[in-house]
Amino acid sequence: MGGLTSAAGVVGYLSEPDPAIQAFALERLNENIESVWTEVSGSIGIIEALYEDETFSHRELAALVLSKVYYQLQEYNEAMVFALGAGKYFDIDNAEEYEETIVAKCVDTYISLCALHNPPKPASSIDRTSSEFGDSMSSNANGAANASLGVGSPTTPFTQSYLPSKSLLNRDEETTWDASAPGGGNAGVPGAHPHPLTLSNATKKSLQSVIRRIFRSCYEVGAYKQVVGIAVEARNMEIMREAILQATQDEKGHGKKTVVASPSQTEELMEYVLDICLNVVQERGLRNQILKLVLGLLNDIPNPDYFAIARCVVYLDQHSMASDMLQQLVRKGDGRSLAVAYQLSFDLYENGTQEFLQKVMEELPESDDVEKTEEPELNGDAVRPGTPHPNEDENAAESQQLLSELQDSTGASSTVLPSRTKSQPENEEQKKAFASIRSILRGTKSIELNLEFLFRSSRSDKAILNKVRDSLEARNSIFHTSVTFSNAFMNAGTTVDSFFRENLEWLGKAVNWSKFTATAALGVIHRGNLGQGQKLLEPYLPKDNANTSQGSPYSQGGSLYALGLIYTNHGTNVLDYLQRQLKTTEDEVVKHGGALGLGLAGMATGSEQIYDDLKHVLYQDSAINGEAVGTAMGLVMLGTGNVRVLEDMLQYSHDTQHEKIVRGLAMGMALVMYARQEAADELINGLLEEADPALRYGGIMTVALAYCGSGSNKAVRKLLHVAVSDASDDVRRAAVMSLGFVLFRKPGSVPRMVELLSESYNPHVRYGATMALGIACAGTGLDEAIDLLEPMTKDSVDFVRQGAFIALAMIMVQQNEAMNPKVNTIRKQLQKSIADRHEDAMAKFGCALALGIIDAGGRNCTISLQTQTGNLNMAAIVGMAVFTQYWYWFPLTHFLALAFTPTAVIGVDQDLEVPSFRFHSNTRPSMFDYPPEQEVKTEEAPEEIKTAVLSTTAQAKRRKLAKDKQARRESMDVDPTPTTPKATAADDKMETDEDVVDTGKLAEEKEAEKDGEKDGSSSSASAIKRKVEREKVGYEMENMSRVLPGQVKFVSFLEGRYQPVKKPTGGVILLEDTQFGEPKQLLEMKARKKSAPPAPTPGQTTGGSTGAAGDTDMADASAVPAGAAGGAAAAAGVLTAIDEDEEGAQEAPVPDEFEVSEDEGEGDE
Amino acid sequence: MADKMDIDAANGEKEEGKIGPAPGLPTERVITNNFNLINQAVDSFDARFTLRALRSIATIRKAANFPEALAIGIRTAFPKPQNNARRVLEEMLPEGMRSSGGQQNGSGEANGGAVKEQDVVEIAEVWAYLGVLVQVYLFDHQEYQRGADFSSNFVDKIRSFNRRTMDPIGAKAYFYYALFHENLNPLPPSKQSPVIDIRPKLLAALRSAVIRKDDETQAAVTVLLLRNYISTADITQADLLIAQTQFPASAANNQVCRYLYYLGRIRAIQLAYTEAHANLESATRKSPTAGPAVGFYQQATKLLIVVELLMGDIPERSTFRQPSLESALHPYFKLVQAVRVGDLQAFLKCVHAFEQQFRSDGTYTLILRLRQNVIKTGVRMLSLSYSRISLRDICTRLHISSEESAEYITAKAIRDGVIEATLDHTHGHLITTPARDAYSTTEPSEAFHARIEALLGMRDECVMAMRYPMNKHRQEIAEAAKARERERELAKEIVEGDADADDGDEGGFEGM
Repeated sequence: MGGLTSAAGVVGYLSEPDPAIQAFALERLNENIESVWTEVSGSIGIIEALYEDETFSHRELAALVLSKVYYQLQEYNEAMVFALGAGKYFDIDNAEEYEETIVAKCVDTYISLCALHNPPKPASSIDRTSSEFGDSMSSNANGAANASLGVGSPTTPFTQSYLPSKSLLNRDEETTWDASAPGGGNAGVPGAHPHPLTLSNATKKSLQSVIRRIFRSCYEVGAYKQVVGIAVEARNMEIMREAILQATQDEKGHGKKTVVASPSQTEELMEYVLDICLNVVQERGLRNQILKLVLGLLNDIPNPDYFAIARCVVYLDQHSMASDMLQQLVRKGDGRSLAVAYQLSFDLYENGTQEFLQKVMEELPESDDVEKTEEPELNGDAVRPGTPHPNEDENAAESQQLLSELQDSTGASSTVLPSRTKSQPENEEQKKAFASIRSILRGTKSIELNLEFLFRSSRSDKAILNKVRDSLEARNSIFHTSVTFSNAFMNAGTTVDSFFRENLEWLGKAVNWSKFTATAALGVIHRGNLGQGQKLLEPYLPKDNANTSQGSPYSQGGSLYALGLIYTNHGTNVLDYLQRQLKTTEDEVVKHGGALGLGLAGMATGSEQIYDDLKHVLYQDSAINGEAVGTAMGLVMLGTGNVRVLEDMLQYSHDTQHEKIVRGLAMGMALVMYARQEAADELINGLLEEADPALRYGGIMTVALAYCGSGSNKAVRKLLHVAVSDASDDVRRAAVMSLGFVLFRKPGSVPRMVELLSESYNPHVRYGATMALGIACAGTGLDEAIDLLEPMTKDSVDFVRQGAFIALAMIMVQQNEAMNPKVNTIRKQLQKSIADRHEDAMAKFGCALALGIIDAGGRNCTISLQTQTGNLNMAAIVGMAVFTQYWYWFPLTHFLALAFTPTAVIGVDQDLEVPSFRFHSNTRPSMFDYPPEQEVKTEEAPEEIKTAVLSTTAQAKRRKLAKDKQARRESMDVDPTPTTPKATAADDKMETDEDVVDTGKLAEEKEAEKDGEKDGSSSSASAIKRKVEREKVGYEMENMSRVLPGQVKFVSFLEGRYQPVKKPTGGVILLEDTQFGEPKQLLEMKARKKSAPPAPTPGQTTGGSTGAAGDTDMADASAVPAGAAGGAAAAAGVLTAIDEDEEGAQEAPVPDEFEVSEDEGEGDE
Repeated sequence: MADKMDIDAANGEKEEGKIGPAPGLPTERVITNNFNLINQAVDSFDARFTLRALRSIATIRKAANFPEALAIGIRTAFPKPQNNARRVLEEMLPEGMRSSGGQQNGSGEANGGAVKEQDVVEIAEVWAYLGVLVQVYLFDHQEYQRGADFSSNFVDKIRSFNRRTMDPIGAKAYFYYALFHENLNPLPPSKQSPVIDIRPKLLAALRSAVIRKDDETQAAVTVLLLRNYISTADITQADLLIAQTQFPASAANNQVCRYLYYLGRIRAIQLAYTEAHANLESATRKSPTAGPAVGFYQQATKLLIVVELLMGDIPERSTFRQPSLESALHPYFKLVQAVRVGDLQAFLKCVHAFEQQFRSDGTYTLILRLRQNVIKTGVRMLSLSYSRISLRDICTRLHISSEESAEYITAKAIRDGVIEATLDHTHGHLITTPARDAYSTTEPSEAFHARIEALLGMRDECVMAMRYPMNKHRQEIAEAAKARERERELAKEIVEGDADADDGDEGGFEGM
């Protein structure tokens, strides 16, 4: 019998009393259901009755028919439920559309069902702080704060009224039933899924079995990732564990015959899980759960991937596990384990907080008790850097380690107790190893290596800087300041401060806050110079003997700020000093600098002592200090979410009359909530309800910092809402800008999001859009972002142009012609705008900043808000956030230096020494080369033409000529600068630009010599050889070379003596020495050597000024210290001058409007 | 029956084709150009290009050398003679083509290299497009059986591709697939017709389309299914189908027209005239009133007229004067005349005279229902003319056999609201209640509101149907920026000019 044309008759059979007839009818229907379902759909009731009838023999068939009808009716929920009831009739292996659809539905339901049983719970620490804060908010903030919560009464504690973010993945937004929604149902999304609670137990059971079958078939084909994905969505840790174990077992089963070279399946799977966990899962509770699981599993695996573990450990704050792991590795004792331990320490340092590292160190076995005895002496040294260091010449690394040893006892009071119970290392070797690990964990080693790299390969282009200086009139404080910033950024971290020394006259024009900024710039330039930082600043620092008349308060304040910048995040040995200065000084400017310095040096220490000191200053209610103090409080308490601190700050911000203080505190509160995500919601809601725009501004900054890098939809929505609805321009600007912080992990999505905002009628919103792009796309060279920003450099409002310039520079940092053809046009445009007579001051300021940023850190730094392994880069994010406050207060611009990350591959062997070796980069040399140097050109021609124009009289003629002149001047300005062909740029530079990068050249020559020796051929021969090989794909690089983030994937290590212990990433890489014990070639530590000399004594200062002229001539290495010291002293003389009677400063007029411009003019711009 | 309309459409296309042949380009070039369009569509994921390629089918099929051109097209797309896809397609072409194709293959091998270098990408969409062209060819040459066989395999193959860029072509393929089967013996009204056999396949296609969110195929297949059910008079099933599926909102206009037409048809048969009227009215409004698809317009208008008559309305005279409708609607014009005056005799005569025509239009059964309406109209005319009239007079005027039946008819008319009157049973009179002033009620404003709403709806639809070029506003912004630039320049010049002018003045003073 053929197919049915109409089911009417068969449907009629269903009502027959005889079960046999009914069964027959069902069979017939089942066969033809696809053609006749329209008719059957009317009889669903009858069939359902059959299915419910326990005595009916073909219940399951009835269920199948029902399922198919519902499927046709697009009622997939019912279809699934009945399909599950159909038992054996429902065959998931039959790959038809019906089965596929039902299976997909099953998976979805399973996920929501599991999610219901494992509801998201906030991490316990968050829970605690937030609930406390919730109470405090409801008591001290006005009722409006709580009204915003909407769901609860004003007295409802935060934990009960607040619902954690539900979205795991973006698509969940639409479809997933929200397990945590009020009332526990999918009220908002009707019919998205059947309510898991409504499913009968039998259905659930069969659902489970179907899912098991699916998983099993996945295992069979090795599709573990899919299972893991479902498990993550379903928050089912059991399944995940099972899947990973299964994968390992499988591998064992037939792993022997597979090629070992390919990364094993388990590793790949682990990699995948970690990736999902850290980048996709947004909810902290779940993330922690997964990480804990993974951590447990990783430890079970015989050959663990220590680096993956390290990532988990850092995230979970499992410090004891980290220290255990390190101890284990050290105890193993062989070279490789040691190398792994060191590499691990570097990774921990890169990703962990100070607090975490501190704890890890505490738990490591004592390395040497004798060291403790030296502490007092060192302490004294830290305070009085004038005295030469006893150990200086022996081993700088050791001395730093000793210095930091002190921080164990002073910084954290708890250190003393556990140190009693520390196990003792077994032998000398281990002792040494632990000592090294400590030095790494403290960061001194990485900082030292980075400093060395930046110093060694600095390629900053003085010609650009000089041009900036010449184009901007130094009498105007804004221009002077902008040149200072440009210089600071260009040389950030390189310790090359020759620009100041060479431009004493220009420097002398710095007055008041410009002087403050200029002094602080030294901190940026010497950033990370932990060994010599304090000595360098010695001439500027306020003297202990309270003789305040000794120097200008501005330079004193600036120097304290600089000290903070140098010791950012590692300030233990200067904290005491800074605290004392803050307490003793009476001068507001010094206090201001001291507060900033203290904040930077004590970043994220959570030290109550510092906090109390700052609070004390805050309560003096000075507008000048208050802003800095507020920010500093936030910096000290960074990311702690400390409720008491927040209460204090909020209270005071309500009490004070000064807008600046309110703003500082608002920023501080935002910093306290750094990366707290959901825990910050209470504060955010409270602040956003405030009447004071400065506090709302703080609320927005809190969103930015609390959710930085999370990509949270909730945060984005809130920001977008505020961006278009707030009454205050400041708040709107901040809201748009904050998008950049929240979304910096997905730079591609930002241009689309701000596209419309960038065309807003409101210039503040446009400015915010530029900064959002700059922040999120920093260092990416993203074309879409540039396309948006380029037109904005011609905006009608000056500060929008400023923002566009800065953002462009942030995006284009380290890009060269080969990577992004636009970079040259942008550089040219920046230079043109800065020289343009008619350009507004604000835009010129932006241009100068941009020119500094685009060549950041001697062209060796990029701006990246995340670390190489993808964690949040705390210092960078904080630096960027505070940097954006430059809008109100220029000196804060220096904070951007915190976001500069050196891009290098630095190989270190087991002895933590830097061997000379080469690695391979599989790219064309020009691909990631430095941009060509600016040509120094003498360009006076436009001036002459200008005089010619003035001689004409006829208006028309004059106009015409003026136009011509304009055109010609432009053409001169846009003179294509790079005449040296790109291909030969790298080597030609060596010969031609001695005066510009003398030190760099020296370094390279020496390296070349070394290479020559190593290769057994002369250096000239190798140079020629290199020239021949030019532009071939693939070339070799020396250790400590610049390797851009994009280049890392092309880097490979040659077969040779040194082998890396992990896949090459940027930064410090531990190398395993395959020929251990043989003599090795080491790279010379130039930065350390350079600054090794004793600090300048007052007597040297006079002699130094004469030496200043010749200080660039550094051909003789021994001449370096004298020249440097002399120049520094001269600069110091200029900067510390109070009056105009100093030689260098005599031409500097005192601009009367200055006070106005810094207080009002800049503030209200 | 209903299929008439599509054939009408096809005829219309043919006529149209004669008027405006493709300018210049040889047919094979048109086909190969369309390959590029389709490639573009696949690359940019934009169905517009595919639709453009499909649109040219109308002109291609009229070309004298259509089969040859098609053969060349196939060879261009699949340079290798042993290619399976090519073989399948070529088999459908007439012998001559194939052999010539074979010969050309010999020479084609020579330039096969060249073709290969051109590297025509073998994408499934091009293959499907050629398949549709083959279907068209077979249909034009009335090779229904072969066409049906070919199409069955063809649509199966298309369904196995789950590609959204394939959708518009797939929809077309299903259309021809159904069309072939309709032309196979025994023809549709028979219950043994092959159209019934293709239902499962169409339903399966509908399900796939729904799951894959393939709106085009979904719309096309829904329409085909309705047509299929109606062709065998399975109105209940068609109704159930409509009730249990959703017609995609984003369907193409012509599919929407067809859907509305069939919907109107079903509703008319189900006596839901108001609904039918609304559907048919939108169908006629949406359908093109000229050009290739005029057949559909005629068909829909015929049905609309009948439904209007059934509702007791009289279609406007102007409807019959439209040039594209005048001849086609002649029988209906006569019919309307008869109904308008309520002349039962004339009505019966007219129905008798044009029975053949009505049957082929599928309106005959509906027209038979009009008899009641004719009488009602008569009653209405009388009620309008007389404030009071005796039943006897009604009998004589409406040619009703007895006073009693006249009483029944008028009572029914009153109850249905056709007339507003009362019956005086004792005296045998029909008393018309005086007409109320319509303007004193809310009726005019309601009618007005309905019109406005209809127009606003139409406007909204138009706005939604428009395409907005991306980044158009950018130009304005750029222009504004330029204007600002000019302004700034001008300001600069003025400043400089002032300075110079001052100089000049000074010079002048000095001179004086």
